[in-house]
Amino acid sequence: MIAPFRSIIRTGNCVNLLFTRSLKSDLHIKWVRPEKISCWDAKKSGDLTPLSELDMTEFPLEYRNSEELKTANEYVRKVFSCNFMGRRFATQRFRQELIDKVKSNSLDSTSCEVQIASMTANIRNLQEHYKLFPRDKSSKIALKEIIDKRKKRLKFLRTWDYKKFEWLLEKLDLKYHPHPTYERVERKKSLRRLTSQWCEKVREQKLAEYRDKLNNEKEIFFKEKLESLEWIKKEEIECGAPQTITDADIEAARKQLEEWRALKSNKE
Amino acid sequence: MSLIAATRSLILMGRCVPSVKQNASKIIVKKLELDQNLLMYFNKDEVYYAHDPEQQCKTGDVVLIQELPEKLTTYITHKVLKVVYPLGDVTDPITNKKVAGLRCGSVRYRDDLDEIDQLYGPTKERFDYKSAPERGWQEDNKDFSHKDSYIKYHESGEEQPYSVPR
Repeated sequence: MIAPFRSIIRTGNCVNLLFTRSLKSDLHIKWVRPEKISCWDAKKSGDLTPLSELDMTEFPLEYRNSEELKTANEYVRKVFSCNFMGRRFATQRFRQELIDKVKSNSLDSTSCEVQIASMTANIRNLQEHYKLFPRDKSSKIALKEIIDKRKKRLKFLRTWDYKKFEWLLEKLDLKYHPHPTYERVERKKSLRRLTSQWCEKVREQKLAEYRDKLNNEKEIFFKEKLESLEWIKKEEIECGAPQTITDADIEAARKQLEEWRALKSNKE
Repeated sequence: MSLIAATRSLILMGRCVPSVKQNASKIIVKKLELDQNLLMYFNKDEVYYAHDPEQQCKTGDVVLIQELPEKLTTYITHKVLKVVYPLGDVTDPITNKKVAGLRCGSVRYRDDLDEIDQLYGPTKERFDYKSAPERGWQEDNKDFSHKDSYIKYHESGEEQPYSVPR
């Protein structure tokens, strides 16, 4: 609707009569606002693998070594399984499995790696829980707090023991980013940054083109130099003038040409 | 010795921080500055770029630097002499033992922790320092702490490994 109007107005020498509110940019840059990711999301917490499928037919931790249950009747076994006892017993099992992967002695419960593994199990469990029950705000708060706490622990472990830190990231399948300086994501600021990046790119491209152009002219120049040196020497001998060009000069020019050709063929 | 020669021979101790330079490391040296009004000393960071073509110091290492006889560029004025304390792999200079961390203000050695593990019975899966690879094998893979991270401000379609979602 507006476009034909505008053309009419423009032709009538009244340019700024029609205003448009949005920014009209003729740059070659399009800014896309990154999607907001919630604090509890795995993308933000750095968990690369989610909670594995919980086996609800297994027994809880305290009964897992029981000899009586192994020989018990089918219904007793069913009653004592995680399915009947509750989901939290299955998650306890999952936590213990994760701790068993990293613990350094059989009764270890205080070492840094065990604490981080325990928090990781809790985080993965709560992330699944929050997806099912998005109105459970208290669990969301707990989740956010554990994520931050784990990140702090990882930060300390990194300064104390870098090798163990890297080993733990591999074992628990976590990603670690240092804390960034906070800033708001704004249109104008981002566009300015992108523009300066684009300008830098254009500058580098033009410089590279110019460098290529000069390099292509180099071989012709070296050839001309050699020929003219030889010609000057010949002329000086013929005219009987004092000699200014020595054989060494000509040899150096020839060597320069050969070296440049060798370099060029090597590159290709 | 003249003043210039004295500053040349000065050796500074600083901490390496992430930078974008290729053959130089950014070193921050912490100094104390007197506030004349409060008559108190405050920390002041001074930034030096030290020439380091072999990339011997990594982010977080404590290093010794010395001024070069001539400036390499406008920024690169120093060179890295030695890595004193690699980050997360500190050796106590007095006892020559590896340090595991601080607990209640006193140093905890790795040997002490190992002793406790031996008492309780070590597990198979525990971390083994002897067979552990050198620092840096998770760089750009799972550990992105060797470079500065920033809050993601643009969705370019390409992967931005050092960005953090907002």
